[in-house]
Amino acid sequence: MNKHTAHENTLIIGVGNPILSDDSAGILVARRIQEIYSASTSIHVVEASLGGIGLLDLMAGYDKVIIVDSIKTESGEPGTCYRLTVDDLGNPSYSWGPHLLDLRTAVELGTRLGFNIPESITIYAIEIKENELFSEMLSPEVEDAIPCLVKKIIDDLKQ
Amino acid sequence: MAQKITINPITRLEGHGKIDIFLDDKGNVQDAFMQITELRGFERFCIGRPAEEMPRIVPNICGVCPTPHNIASTKALDYIYGVAPTPAAKLIRQLQYNANFIEDHYIHFFFLAAPDFVVGPDANPAERNILGVISKVGLDIGKKVIEVRKKTREIIKLVASKPAHPEGGLPGGVSRGIKQEERKGIMETANMCVDFARFALQLFKDVVLKNKAYLDLILSDAYNLKTYYMGLVDENKKVNFYEGRLRVIDPNGKEVAFFHPNDYIDYIGEWVEPWTYIRLTHLRKLGWNGLIEGDNTSLYRVGPLGRFNVSEGMATPLAQEEYEEMVNTLGKPAHHTLAYHWARLIEALQAAEDLQRISVDPLLTSNDLRNMNFQFTGKGIGCVEACRGTLIHHYETDDHGLITKVNLIVATQNNAASMALSVKKAAQNFIKGGEVKEGLLNMAEMAFRAYDPCLGCATHTLPGKMPLIINIYDNKHNVVKTLSR
Repeated sequence: MNKHTAHENTLIIGVGNPILSDDSAGILVARRIQEIYSASTSIHVVEASLGGIGLLDLMAGYDKVIIVDSIKTESGEPGTCYRLTVDDLGNPSYSWGPHLLDLRTAVELGTRLGFNIPESITIYAIEIKENELFSEMLSPEVEDAIPCLVKKIIDDLKQ
Repeated sequence: MAQKITINPITRLEGHGKIDIFLDDKGNVQDAFMQITELRGFERFCIGRPAEEMPRIVPNICGVCPTPHNIASTKALDYIYGVAPTPAAKLIRQLQYNANFIEDHYIHFFFLAAPDFVVGPDANPAERNILGVISKVGLDIGKKVIEVRKKTREIIKLVASKPAHPEGGLPGGVSRGIKQEERKGIMETANMCVDFARFALQLFKDVVLKNKAYLDLILSDAYNLKTYYMGLVDENKKVNFYEGRLRVIDPNGKEVAFFHPNDYIDYIGEWVEPWTYIRLTHLRKLGWNGLIEGDNTSLYRVGPLGRFNVSEGMATPLAQEEYEEMVNTLGKPAHHTLAYHWARLIEALQAAEDLQRISVDPLLTSNDLRNMNFQFTGKGIGCVEACRGTLIHHYETDDHGLITKVNLIVATQNNAASMALSVKKAAQNFIKGGEVKEGLLNMAEMAFRAYDPCLGCATHTLPGKMPLIINIYDNKHNVVKTLSR
């Protein structure tokens, strides 16, 4: 991954656990983006097995951040691609604990504590099937959806 | 009318973690069960992998405490390859480890413990969180917590490349040394952490211990559980997070075992119950006696309160003073579950003082980072005290160093049975006559939170949280009330 400095513009964060089956989807999408933008000085790509406050550390100083992750909704079909905002993630929730602080809550907390929060945070996600089984393999539906999500992100970056 | 209360996550991930509380016909708590899910197949996943990959793989088991997994795994490799780390390498591992202890303990205290004590256990849930704490103690304190976290994670990153999932750790050493120009930053971080640790303890005393209601809560029977205790101590029986021998005391404080972690199989048994996925550990020589406390229990607790009880003191001077004050207040052994929070803050102070010691040690910048005089054994057991308790990584390999067996005993597993008992006991004290208010359920959850349980298993699937639903059922299993978080 490229090293980044605080004054650069866009950061893409591929989020996931690389050994929990479909949970690695965000990381794998980020790697495809990295291959395309490896020479870019204004678009940087990192992999992160982080949540909450950890993501704030990475985002600090960037104007625009794209987070790529897996998602499981109540009735979604595996392989469905989504474009979300932070507000789409529901209300902030501090109930459970700091290590499980979700992105929505982390952004609010960071704002209150004076973190340098990016002006634009967009989330691209793939509906997944399996994230409780230790494996480095993706479900076929998720594997097939990776190019679709890569294209959506590239189109976003070209705007 | 018997009722079932369930504290249950809204789940796409059924059974990720839930608490069931059963009421009898009078609406009083009859029983409570805490179900914990385990991720499937880790032991199978690692078979066939080169052993030296394990310190890189195991931090991904858990996004909450990856550093202890990394260090325990590295220590297991030391044994597999029959080699002790160089003195400088051991110092660097301890540097990384103490930094992790400080970061982890403070994040837990300010996010999980402080809301109940600073804002109040009966307060509006919308305010009973880190923001509520900050509004009471001031924004500067909140920023300081984040600063401490940031600086300690920079130390971990320096040693092991990534703070969240460290990748350093080699049999007989470490992969990166410390440069002389990096020492100054480490010293400044260490000094800041000692100052903050003393402040945090004073805050705890002012806000919690000097508040009679809170002190009564800590001392109350609702949060009292008589168990055995276990933890690592050094040759002087002082608390040691990185190494030592495991000491076990009984509910009356008498030592009943003192053994090398390599012999853990002889002392720690695992029991399977149908209502939870986790294997419940207990003292093997006593056998499984069920979920009971007192003289006939075979359950033991680990973590800050466990270490406080099994040790004869702390290893650093300022922490030792605080330890003595806690002994004078609670006595020993202390069975007060909420005292986990107090012990946790004392441990953070020891970690900070040890960070100071390491930061000025001339050996820290040595280039002697690896002992390559291997005497291959094919078996390794790495044991550390993780923030949440004793952690054991047991690996076996074939003659080529490929993994053939993995067994893990994790901290929360050690405490799982006691956690369930603690919740039951707290619930019995606070939920009576069928009256179930959110504040009362929170009192039951406080028993659970004191252990700082690690149920998070590094799943990053959006939205990345484990919300809770509390369903109250009548005796016909009809939902009569729902509380949600």
